[in-house]
Amino acid sequence: MRSLTSRAATVAAILIAASACKKEPPPPDPVPPPPAAEPVSVTSIDLGKAVGPDKRVLNSTDDFGLRDTIYASVSTTGNTAGTMTAKWTFESSGQTVDSTTLSISPTGPAVTEFHIMNTNAWPAGKYKLTVMVNGVTAKDKEFEIKR
Amino acid sequence: MPDYKDPADFSGVSSGKGPPADFSGVSGGASSTAPGAVPVTPKNRTYTVAKGDNLSKIAKSFYGNERMWRKIYDVNKQVIGKNPDLIKPGQVLTIPDA
Repeated sequence: MRSLTSRAATVAAILIAASACKKEPPPPDPVPPPPAAEPVSVTSIDLGKAVGPDKRVLNSTDDFGLRDTIYASVSTTGNTAGTMTAKWTFESSGQTVDSTTLSISPTGPAVTEFHIMNTNAWPAGKYKLTVMVNGVTAKDKEFEIKR
Repeated sequence: MPDYKDPADFSGVSSGKGPPADFSGVSGGASSTAPGAVPVTPKNRTYTVAKGDNLSKIAKSFYGNERMWRKIYDVNKQVIGKNPDLIKPGQVLTIPDA
């Protein structure tokens, strides 16, 4: 009985000593400051007849056929939320063919694809794509639809 | 006596823009690698009726197809009334997307 009590006391003493020597967890790493706000800027527009999963056109071209779907890959930098608009215009009549607006919240470089398709044959001629950021024209790209 | 020349002939002059084309079958879309990309539904355009206008003429101007006058009339029945041929200068019509 005596030895049992003595052993228990010894174990308790060891445990108490161990907890006293327990190391404090290291302080957490300081939280890095958020990146500086950078407005969205259009760096390039590429046109093509198809896009890959990364939203980039597969074979860049400025000439299209009467039944093609027309894709535009718009590359941007910046990390500020806003809107991006693609306005497609038929140059010979000045008509707006289509206009699509996306609200985006980029965190850095991004690629946005816009596309137009026609259940009828496209009128042949010159067209223009105008890309706007927050309603302000950023870049234009002309292309042609040929018979 | 002065020799007056005949008035110049400008009958062949045009504004430089071709006739409207038919884009009634066009649709568009978009997607992005940027997070939270959401399409923004644009507000419908409006047009103020001018003297001499009719719905066919307005449809041809916006859609390149005068047969799409019904699309404009359906959205503006409360403004135009029962007769689609009776539109008045100053009326503001909503022009829906094609």
